[in-house]
Amino acid sequence: MAVAAAIACRLLRLRAAGAGGHWRRLRGAGLPRGFLQPASAGEDAAQWRRVAHFTFQPDPEPLEYGQTQKMNLFQAVTSALDNSLAKDPTAVIFGEDVAFGGVFRCTVGLRDKYGKDRVFNTPLCEQGIVGFGIGIAVTGATAIAEIQFADYIFPAFDQIVNEAAKYRYRSGDLFNCGSLTIRAPWGCVGHGAVYHSQSPEAFFAHCPGIKVVVPRSPFQAKGLLLSCIEDKNPCIFFEPKILYRAAVEQVPVEPYNIPLSQAEVIQEGSDVTLVAWGTQVHVIREVASMAQEKLGVSCEVIDLRTIIPWDVDTVCKSAGLETENLKMLTLSSWERQSVIKTGRLLVSHEAPLTGGFASEISSTVQEECFLNLEAPISRVCGYDTPFPHVFEPFYIPDKWKCYDALRKMINY
Amino acid sequence: MAYCSCGGLGFGGWLYLRIWITFIGTCSTSVLPAASLRSPDLSTGLGTKQHPQRQQQRFSSLDDKPQFPGASAEFIDKLEFIQPNVISGIPIYRVMDRQGQIINPSEDPNLPQEKVLKFYKSMTLLNTMDRILYESQRQGRISFYMTNYGEEGTHVGSAAALDNTDLVFGQYREAGVLMYRDYPLELFMAQCYGNVSDLGKGRQMPVHYGCKERHFVTISSPLATQIPQAVGAAYAAKRANANRVVICYFGEGAASEGDAHAGFNFAATLECPIIFFCRNNGYAISTPTSEQYRGDGIAARGPGYGIMSIRVDGNDVFAVYNATKEARRRAVAENQPFLIEAMTYRIGHHSTSDDSSAYRSVDEVNYWDKQDHPISRLRHYLQSRGWWDDEQEKDWRKQSRKKVMEAFEQAERKPKPNFSLLFSDVYQEMPAQLRKQQESLARHLQTYGEHYPLDHFEK
Repeated sequence: MAVAAAIACRLLRLRAAGAGGHWRRLRGAGLPRGFLQPASAGEDAAQWRRVAHFTFQPDPEPLEYGQTQKMNLFQAVTSALDNSLAKDPTAVIFGEDVAFGGVFRCTVGLRDKYGKDRVFNTPLCEQGIVGFGIGIAVTGATAIAEIQFADYIFPAFDQIVNEAAKYRYRSGDLFNCGSLTIRAPWGCVGHGAVYHSQSPEAFFAHCPGIKVVVPRSPFQAKGLLLSCIEDKNPCIFFEPKILYRAAVEQVPVEPYNIPLSQAEVIQEGSDVTLVAWGTQVHVIREVASMAQEKLGVSCEVIDLRTIIPWDVDTVCKSAGLETENLKMLTLSSWERQSVIKTGRLLVSHEAPLTGGFASEISSTVQEECFLNLEAPISRVCGYDTPFPHVFEPFYIPDKWKCYDALRKMINY
Repeated sequence: MAYCSCGGLGFGGWLYLRIWITFIGTCSTSVLPAASLRSPDLSTGLGTKQHPQRQQQRFSSLDDKPQFPGASAEFIDKLEFIQPNVISGIPIYRVMDRQGQIINPSEDPNLPQEKVLKFYKSMTLLNTMDRILYESQRQGRISFYMTNYGEEGTHVGSAAALDNTDLVFGQYREAGVLMYRDYPLELFMAQCYGNVSDLGKGRQMPVHYGCKERHFVTISSPLATQIPQAVGAAYAAKRANANRVVICYFGEGAASEGDAHAGFNFAATLECPIIFFCRNNGYAISTPTSEQYRGDGIAARGPGYGIMSIRVDGNDVFAVYNATKEARRRAVAENQPFLIEAMTYRIGHHSTSDDSSAYRSVDEVNYWDKQDHPISRLRHYLQSRGWWDDEQEKDWRKQSRKKVMEAFEQAERKPKPNFSLLFSDVYQEMPAQLRKQQESLARHLQTYGEHYPLDHFEK
């Protein structure tokens, strides 16, 4: 009885310490008891760690590709791979742990369905995985290589940049590795920290000869991945890992293609152009709503989709104040629309600011649309630090930072 | 469990002990040898009593064998490190002695005269082309060149043992393979000059040959990158049931690269029909083998990966031929990789940018040039068979030199490709942005063309 009272008092004191003091609680209680805190104390901690910085916005069900099925992003990837292996008898999938289904379940069921010579594990060696993939592609067969995390793609950098990207050019088109596709999980995931959160697209953007693609949703992922696989150039397909389970929508069961090097205007607007790719598209979509609601500002939201070669024309689409300007454009530059329409551009990505791909977009747009810009181009990006662990909520370019930058642009 | 009723410990204390017990229980299970795990009636955890006799039987150290998934091996109870054997390493297989005499007649491949003459003519034509093109670089006619002096036997012996459709991945010192496959002199020269006839469209430095027709993948400068690529190509050939082998050439220096390790490991684990052919010529530019590795060369690494390996005399064209022939047969039949380390010597400088007298003695070079050269050894063989003589030698030298000079003069006269070929083949299709850049260069040349060497480029 006395023991029970003592324990009850302790629990009351612990609860009184408040959410912020949970580290102190654990220390004061002694480690073994700290392990055994009642469930409610842990939940506060878990809650602020679990809340995502975005809300996935599914697109309306596509009707033009036949029957659809509810799929999350990794299932959409599996579906694309399934379609590819069914259609193309030369296609093979390989990488670390792909045989049992992959660490993100993207290849579940494929080995049983297509055989161990077509879906197989490789030794733990990224430079080997990509080099091997290039060799398969040189013979004309389709190679789909998986790098377990984009953070680990760097050992393969030489094979990608010095070999894959230059194969066709340096051989005078005698040889190529166009049937190579490299897939890798990409981007922040809430707890990935330094080596499970990176977005390395900017390193590859500087490399003519490859294509780099990032989808924002399951439907986009399947169509873009199929296009990458069928594209006659080596492609890197980065899959936002935080969306693997969080993003669910209706996705066609049959194969279909979404064109590469074409950005998508997912929401039209007239005051500010917002550009992003992958997970960040959902952040800027929300920012667009906030801007409309709080500031009465109409935003045009663009998903870049392909990082290189990128769709310059769609993004430049609005660098004229008055829509009359559009009439003055000749037919060949009719394409230059978005920024010409709004005069304001905000680009956002998780990757660090300096040398990030927003720099390329910003530079090109100011070259093409200078006189039509109402404000300096804004880049809302990760800080110039490695990707931190506990500081992730402060690091990422969340909706508040984007909103604030947008506000400043409007008031410039 | 008797402890849970200890009131004095309190709630927290009881849970603490409970976790500790579970931990021990887990530990107990894991320390038991496999033999005892197979007995279904064995209960684990503290406090359980086993029949002493049954326990002793299960724990007998005489019976148990290692169960580790990582290695198939016996236990040993003596502490002993394996001593790497670099004093008397893997022996070097040869067929001819340095005077071109067959040592063991049963190893003589007994190739027909025509074929052996083709070996000889390929090697000597290569040698002649090397001399002329090296000179042409010295005279400023081409920008760069790499000779193959001393290694002609490794190229021709191996190329001859392959099928014409076997895919070749090289490093940069394998021109004899192309020569053996009858790559015309005109195309060698075209690539070195980067003229309109260059299949590579003038994009790469000299000696970066490639030929789709002859299944020779275009050379690239980064070392060893071709190794894992060759493995992938071999895997695809296996899947296609093509009955083709892939051969991958590299030097002993390139074998230090991570890509080499990657390639060997992948080839073995994925069971690829590939021949890894290492030209161990003693130097990687100025770095001698003593600074490149400490083990017994490259052949000794093969078994570490589970790869069938052999070391051969690279200056003995028949030894190279025999080893490659057998490796090819088995690689295709058994879908496994083979590693051939061909010992040889780089008689020439690394390239026209190198002067090797800075790091090795002229005497050393002369020894190999005079006493152990693949061409002279084969010539002695031919002469002893009565298939060649001094008269034919003189004629052939004149003839081959004439052929090379003609091709050379023609190549020099041709223009370079049109400057627009700077922009094509980056992708299969030209991206919009690149087309704009191409147009901008064209416009720039309209105004500033006089400052550019347009006269040497096709219009």
